[in-house]
Order: sequence, then structure tokens, then C-alpha cells
Amino acid sequence: MTGAFTVVEPVMGTVASITVIGERTPRVERAIVACVARLRDDERVFSTYRDDSDISRLRDEGLELGDVDPRVAEVAAYCRDLRERSGGRFDAHWRGWFDPTGYVKGWSTDAATRAFDELLADGEVEAVGVNVGGDMRLRTAPTSDHGWRIGIAHPTHEGELLATVEVVDGAVATSGTSERGAHLVDPRTGVHLAGPVSATVVADDLTTADAWATVAAIAGIDDVDWMPVAPVASGIVWEHGRTRRFAGRVEVSAFHDVVAG
Amino acid sequence: MKKIVYAFMATVTGLVLLFSYRTSTAPESTSALADAPSSGVATVPKTTPTPSASASSGSPSSGSTSSGSTSAQTSSSGLTDGTFTGQAANTRFGPVQVQITVSGGAITDVQVPQYPSESGRDQQINSRALPVLVKETVQAQSAEVDMVSGATYTSTGYRTSLQSALDQARA
Repeated sequence: MTGAFTVVEPVMGTVASITVIGERTPRVERAIVACVARLRDDERVFSTYRDDSDISRLRDEGLELGDVDPRVAEVAAYCRDLRERSGGRFDAHWRGWFDPTGYVKGWSTDAATRAFDELLADGEVEAVGVNVGGDMRLRTAPTSDHGWRIGIAHPTHEGELLATVEVVDGAVATSGTSERGAHLVDPRTGVHLAGPVSATVVADDLTTADAWATVAAIAGIDDVDWMPVAPVASGIVWEHGRTRRFAGRVEVSAFHDVVAG
Repeated sequence: MKKIVYAFMATVTGLVLLFSYRTSTAPESTSALADAPSSGVATVPKTTPTPSASASSGSPSSGSTSSGSTSAQTSSSGLTDGTFTGQAANTRFGPVQVQITVSGGAITDVQVPQYPSESGRDQQINSRALPVLVKETVQAQSAEVDMVSGATYTSTGYRTSLQSALDQARA
């Protein structure tokens, strides 16, 4: 049985919890440092709370995408695509300027987790999970059968779980109103979601999971029209005590409603 | 009610078709969300033996099987009673198959009877591939989870979060 340890670092206004299944060697330590450094550097570029971030300068100084860090153009391209595919349920331009908050964290976590690529490939660590503020990328070495058991926090019952999900190699993201009050805005109307609403999505990577969890939360429990086009594995939408679940791009909880009715 | 049943009929068709034809788009982390009444433990749904369920559940390499039904009693809902088995869909982890049971015009059971079982790793993945909706919420401690996903917390909110408790236990 190999060891497991967790390193906690403040980043992006929240906390990153990095759990390593493996020994704490100098090489592993270096990978953790590189992972956190990438998250912080992406924060420097994308933070809307910093006047000197590339995102803020793009907004305030009338710069073009070509004038700022190339990562901004990369994320902007993803966001345009997501806006189209989600039917406007996600829109980084809804305020009239480019604000990819709600997208960057997942994207950045995927990029940061690549610091462990070599360690996983040669089996020096068995598995690595990077949880940034409740959204996580989970990696498992090809030689390992480690599975991650993920709890999905109940949106209104603090300290309790709504569901659990097992992931070997993938990502889990949750968007909703529960933790910080109503901070989700429907870009189509500019209206803050009253909630409580919570959407959890499981996908191959966190860029995808985070983006579509946001879409699912914005859409709310009565709108699942986005589901057939979402490149995700499965998920749960919860609103006012009702749940809907889906897998393989179709709803599964509907069956149980039929049984119950 | 009738309208609802038709809607779900469409969903069932969609489910069976999607499981049948989704190949290249199969997600890496193939998983589904399933109920586990009053328990936080993932369980594979029980298998209902029916004539049409003879779809070689033990030999994933046998390929697809066509759908069939055990009887032809059509109810007012438009759903024919019987057990219907979709074609086995090839996923990254092997073939996956969906089976529904209709009784009295209503869907009474949905199962995924076939799991890949060729390699140990596939077995591992699939025994875990059904995420569990915890109907009766349980404490994180008793659920023995590795991490907790939830709406984004602030640095302050983290201190009282379940994730924080887990991290402290493993620091």
C-alpha cells in the first residue's frame, strides 16, 4: 500500500487541494510546485479582480487579443465555441466585455495537472487529484487500478452528500448557487439565479466538466435541451429538492419517475 | 400522464439507440448515475432473467445482439409489455447494453445487463462506473470519499467545507 498525502494551497480566491497517491519524493514535490505555479500564473493573466491582469487590460485599455498573453486568445476561442454549443446558456461576453470566469478554473486545472504527466506515465505516483474550489481533475497511472471516490456536496444540507461518483481518470465539476449565494447569472437575461440550484458534471477533462456544469446550472432543472450536445459522461442537476440525472447524453432519472408514477 | 409516457418512450428509444451507436464519442470515463436505495454503496442492478436477455452477458467480444420482446401486449400508453434489449454498444471499456422492462404500459425496470469483463482493469472500471445518487444523504465521513465536489467555495468557505476536513485527515 503506497502512501497518500494532500497539499493545500490558496489560489484563485479559493483553495487547491492536491492529493497524491504515492511517495512524497523530491520529484513529486517539484511537480506540485509546478502545478500550483501554473494555477497562479493563469490567475495573474485571467483574474478580473486584478487591474493589471491581461483580462482587465483587455477590457480597460482597449487592447486586442493579439496584444495580450496568448492564453487569453486560446480561452476566448473555447468560450466562443461553448457559447454556440450551449445555445447561449454560457456567454463570456454577456456583460459587454470578455470575462471567462467560470471557464478558466477548469481549463487552468487541466493545464496545471499536466505537471504530473511524467510521474504518472512512469508510475512514480499511482494517482493525482487536483481539486480547485470543488472542481477536480483526477488522474490515474496506466499501471494502477486506483479509483477516485468523489462525494457531491448536498446543495443545502451542509456536511451531507447528495451523491457519490467513482472516477478512474476524468473530472468532476459542480456549479451552483449554494456556496456563495446567488453568483450565477443567466447570460441570456442578465438575471441572477435565485436558486438553490446545483449541477454536477463528470467528463474526461475539467475544462469540459466545469464548462458544462455551468451550462447545466444556468439552464436549471426544467431545461435539459443542451444535454444531447454536451460532450460529457454523466451528471446530476438538483433544484429545490428535485433531481435529474443523465448519462451518455440522455436522462436516466426519467425512468424512475415513470416507475414511481 | 399519457403525454408523459410518450415523452419517456422517446427517451427510452433515445437511450437504447445511443447506447447502440455511440462509439467514437464514448466518453473516457464511462459512467452512469444510478439509484442505490438507502445506501451509499455502488451496486450493479440486479439482472432479471428473460428470454431476450440471453445476450451473452459473459462474452463481451460476441458483438451486438438485436432487440426483442417477450410478449406483444400493447397498452393504452403505446408501450408494449415485455423486455427489450438494445444492441450492445462498444465503448472504450467494452460493450455496454441496455435493457428495459415494460409492464402494464409503463417502464418498470431499466438495466444495463452487460458489462465488459475481459481484463481486470475493465472490471475495476465497470464495477465503479455507476455513480450513485445518495437518496438518503449520508455524512461524508461515512461515505469514505476521497474528495468532495461542490459549488465553488471561497478561501474562507473552504475552512468549514467537507474537503477541508478530508484534507486535514490526510495532511
